[in-house]
Amino acid sequence: MAKSVNIQIASVHLTSKFWQTFVAIMGVTFGVSMYIFMNSFMNGVNKTQDDLAFSALSHIRIYNQDNNHSYNPIESEYDNSQTVFNIHNRKSIQYTSGIKNSYGIVSLVEKQEEVVAVARQINFSVFFRSGSKKINGRVSGIELEQEDKLFKSSEIVTQGNWNNLQTHKSGIIIGKLLAEDLGLQVNSSINVLTSDGVSRNYIIVGIFESSLKDIDKTKAYLNITAARQLIGENSDYASDILINIKDRDNTVPVVKKLGLLIPFQIESWQEANEQLVAGASLRNVIAIAVSFTILLVAGFGIYNIMNMTINEKIKEIAILKATGFSGKDIKSIFLSQAGAIGLLGGFLGVILGYLISLLINQIPFNVASLETLPIYFRVQDFVLAVVFGVLTTLIAGYLPSRKAAKVDPVTIIRG
Amino acid sequence: MENKTSLKIRNLVKYFHEPETFQVLKGVSFEVKKGEFLSIVGKSGSGKSTLLYVLSTMDTDYEGTLQINGDLLTGKTQNQLAAFRNEHIGFVFQFHYLLPEFSCLQNVMLPALKLGKYSTKEIEHKAYESLRLLDIEGQALKSANKLSGGQQQRVAIARALINNPSIIMTDEPTGNLDSKNTEAVLDIFRGLAKENGQTIICVTHDKDFANNTDRTIEMADGLII
Ligand SMILES: Nc1ncnc2c1ncn2[C@@H]1O[C@H](COP(=O)(O)OP(=O)(O)OP(=O)(O)O)[C@@H](O)[C@H]1O
Ligand SMILES: [Mg+2]
Repeated sequence: MAKSVNIQIASVHLTSKFWQTFVAIMGVTFGVSMYIFMNSFMNGVNKTQDDLAFSALSHIRIYNQDNNHSYNPIESEYDNSQTVFNIHNRKSIQYTSGIKNSYGIVSLVEKQEEVVAVARQINFSVFFRSGSKKINGRVSGIELEQEDKLFKSSEIVTQGNWNNLQTHKSGIIIGKLLAEDLGLQVNSSINVLTSDGVSRNYIIVGIFESSLKDIDKTKAYLNITAARQLIGENSDYASDILINIKDRDNTVPVVKKLGLLIPFQIESWQEANEQLVAGASLRNVIAIAVSFTILLVAGFGIYNIMNMTINEKIKEIAILKATGFSGKDIKSIFLSQAGAIGLLGGFLGVILGYLISLLINQIPFNVASLETLPIYFRVQDFVLAVVFGVLTTLIAGYLPSRKAAKVDPVTIIRG
Repeated sequence: MENKTSLKIRNLVKYFHEPETFQVLKGVSFEVKKGEFLSIVGKSGSGKSTLLYVLSTMDTDYEGTLQINGDLLTGKTQNQLAAFRNEHIGFVFQFHYLLPEFSCLQNVMLPALKLGKYSTKEIEHKAYESLRLLDIEGQALKSANKLSGGQQQRVAIARALINNPSIIMTDEPTGNLDSKNTEAVLDIFRGLAKENGQTIICVTHDKDFANNTDRTIEMADGLII
């Protein structure tokens, strides 16, 4: 009962000073809408960046490079003995890189519940030759179906067909710019020369166009069996095993788990691409800093308005206290005003933020795979925006309302 | 019932420290019976309003003791006193303060809404009754700052009556009223004292008004004479 009187009084205060209330609400509205817009925009940018990156990047990569293997026979056989050792004729043996028994590893990886796709690859540098032209590039020997599952590679093939690699034993799919540079089309023949001096001719059965120019200029796909033949490796060989998991932000535990099972290097995308992670975090910091600055300014505005209101109404506060309202009642009267301003401002801010974001999303921006400025909405941004908006107003309203609660009625009424 | 003590003060001493230390009340003691209609008179500046603020529990910066209805109020917290005032004391200030953004009706209803003993409908009904008693119900829905001084004073009196307080304290309740309305207020107070047993304490300059009360206390220089 008493609570509802306080709210009644608060609402009379709010409605009788319309412009003041309006300005305070607009402050919150602006802060909240900026929070939503900034975060949706940054999310859009991050998501675009990620989509680009993950078109060629797996969440986890398993590979084998011998330079990381160091074997000390003394330490591993006798860890802390007084024995004198005499080693004759010590040699450094060249370990071959790559994974010889890839099938066993793949079936181990597939058993993990977090894993959604696994693909083997053989990657190596080659020269592409056609007539007198010779271009340095890379060949990826891939498993068609698995590769497509990881990277949707079949979607970037613009001429010919991804699955042609399955049917044509000597088929190759090359990047668009590479094809242009060599002056080749689908069904042309192309010569590939490996670093070991092996040379073979392939038929172009497809041309792809990704969103990364570098790749279009240098890359070609072979079926993994054709690639094995080309570099003379056994039928279970792979240079990389690529893994996608359910939650790509959560690679650490998976890498740890696989590390216990698999004796090769295991690398998450975060380790391999620190600049991606850093870029995303920096953009998030900017978004949060900007929106909090705006909320802070709005908070100061509300603090000022509340302070002014309370100075203006000090006589009325004294009367309320004289007729029996407690300090707590007075505080709740002014805090509910702040809360109402926060909620209303938050509500309008959500609408405004959504509209601003939609508008920005219409602005043309023809770079890379984009057509307009990117916007990506997340429910949590909207919720947090309102929470922060209301919190800011409550904090801004708290100090003035405490001051109001402490008004000594007799000093005011005595005049 | 007649002889129950409504209010009792012992040795009230009060100082003002601004601009210089100055003793306003110099040891005031008296008792008021339940249902008594008491008036306090005295020269301007003799300390009548100051005394009334102490009696009303709003001013807690004094020495001595204050008891109302047998409760010792000296030393209670501000919030306890606010709740006590709400239920037991009706107060009309010397400069009849109303809340300007609220209607007269709302002004009268607020202390009752705060008390929360009755439903809004009952309170509204009672507020209209109070306003009618003071012949001002025609202005009920007008906002308080649109009334004349005398009208505001009558609304303030109506507000003081709303919670059926055991004591009604007024500071110059008829200062802005013509003789007809003064007469009416006097009648109302007398009726409340007689019929409801409510104690009335009035500070006044009006000799006729004082002569019509049960008892008159005269103050001079912070003392009762
Ligand atoms: N806030 C204050 N600070 C300092 N002195 C004050 C204050 N309020 C009142 N006084 C002084 O205390 C004395 C008593 O004042 P009070 O208001 O009680 O007089 P009063 O009897 O009500 O006079 P009036 O009949 O004019 O209303 C006066 O001398 C006045 O100047
Ligand atoms: Mg006075």
